[in-house]
Amino acid sequence: MTVRTDNRLGDAPMRPVACRSCGTTVLARKSSWAQTTVQWSAEAVAACTSWDPGCSIRGELPVCHPLRDSIARAVVDGDLPVIDDGR
Amino acid sequence: MTNGQTDTEVRHIEQEAAPSRFARGWHCIGLEREFLDGKPHTVTGFGRKLVVWADSSGAIKVLDGYCRHMGGDLSQGTIKGDEVACPFHDWRWGGDGRCKQIPYSRRVPLRARTQAWPTLVQDGMVFVWNDPEGKAPIPEQAIPRVDGGPGTPGWTDWAWYQTRVDTNCREIIDNMVDMAHFFYVHHAFPTYFKNTFEGHTATQLQKGVNRDDMRPAEVAIGAPKRLGNTSVATYHGPSFMIDDLIYHYEHGDVRTVLINCHYPVDENSFVLQYGISVERPESPEDAAAAERLADKMVQTVRIGFEQDVDIWKNKTRIDNPLLCEEDGPVYQLRRWYEQFYVDVADIRPEMTDRFEFELDTTRPNEAWQREVDENVARRAAEAAEAATSDELVSQTQGA
Repeated sequence: MTVRTDNRLGDAPMRPVACRSCGTTVLARKSSWAQTTVQWSAEAVAACTSWDPGCSIRGELPVCHPLRDSIARAVVDGDLPVIDDGR
Repeated sequence: MTNGQTDTEVRHIEQEAAPSRFARGWHCIGLEREFLDGKPHTVTGFGRKLVVWADSSGAIKVLDGYCRHMGGDLSQGTIKGDEVACPFHDWRWGGDGRCKQIPYSRRVPLRARTQAWPTLVQDGMVFVWNDPEGKAPIPEQAIPRVDGGPGTPGWTDWAWYQTRVDTNCREIIDNMVDMAHFFYVHHAFPTYFKNTFEGHTATQLQKGVNRDDMRPAEVAIGAPKRLGNTSVATYHGPSFMIDDLIYHYEHGDVRTVLINCHYPVDENSFVLQYGISVERPESPEDAAAAERLADKMVQTVRIGFEQDVDIWKNKTRIDNPLLCEEDGPVYQLRRWYEQFYVDVADIRPEMTDRFEFELDTTRPNEAWQREVDENVARRAAEAAEAATSDELVSQTQGA
């Protein structure tokens, strides 16, 4: 059972984004302003200081807010392209 | 390659045979209460026949179903004391897999040992640990206790349902990331959708609203009108999902827990099981209503799975799905799922590293709202037309 590569990554691959809070680096991709893909490594997970575990019975997923903000900032700064920028 | 060639190139569906080994991990085989009747039970799973019974203390035991003596079917035998007795020659097998006694023989021969399956009973459910490598359960992959559910005061007992589905179980796993099918197949309306995978867990957060044009099946069974729902569903390992599912009704929120689990029968079929427990409201008359609500909900869920089954029994296996940007992370989910089909030593970091995928529902929601509005308008027009023709009929009859 070999898992193939996501056809969407061929056109636009994941790109490194550094967290402005702890400095760790993840791979990110945005197909639109509201869509975000984040691939963590074990090192990034170990370095993260702001992982919020969330609460499933309140409908909350775990998330790192500083990283979310950093990815948004990378888009604003032009470091992370958005594939469909709404035009 | 020129554009002309690209435009005429046909994309082919690729498919390898479904894996012949079965996933490593805890699998729920049913409710504990089903196995406490003092009889051995047959469970056909993992390409085998298993025998399941409760010993004199009520502890659930699971062995390979065939007696190592002459191949008798232990699940057709009887329980004698703590052991299962073979119907063929009365050999007695203990839950640890050892033959304890052969009544007509002075002693038990060497190596009279069969395969015993590690079991876990928790929150009213029975689990077996499947491992093609034959190792002990991985402690970190223990099934967590359900938050709420029958183990918690004020919650209803499991409304439980079981059915066999004739397709490889990867199809049901794919649902975890397939936002759009919830609209087209289940007539739901997801407005928010995010997946997180990490270690042996895969999670889906989904928020949805009710559709004004749909739910005839739910209406037919008299389920109350829903405004929407918030669901956080997590697979703990390859087959057992706990879904903390909050329904938003006109009269307020109802907290429920949905279990969605399966075990493989063979590589081309699996047994699907699901159960629902509902938090009872405070007042006693509402408490009775909560039991009825749980039953209605399990019927609603059953309708949902029947909709999936209709798709599965006609679709083809596809290893190279062609995804658009509004689809979820199908490839990354399958990469996560693959960890359960390789030896522990062969698990690669990419299978278990944390991964997040937040969908953009803007475009899907615009398209779906238009479709809903059109359906509502068409139905109103049809109703008006029917009313007019009724009027004509009554005028004619009156004339």
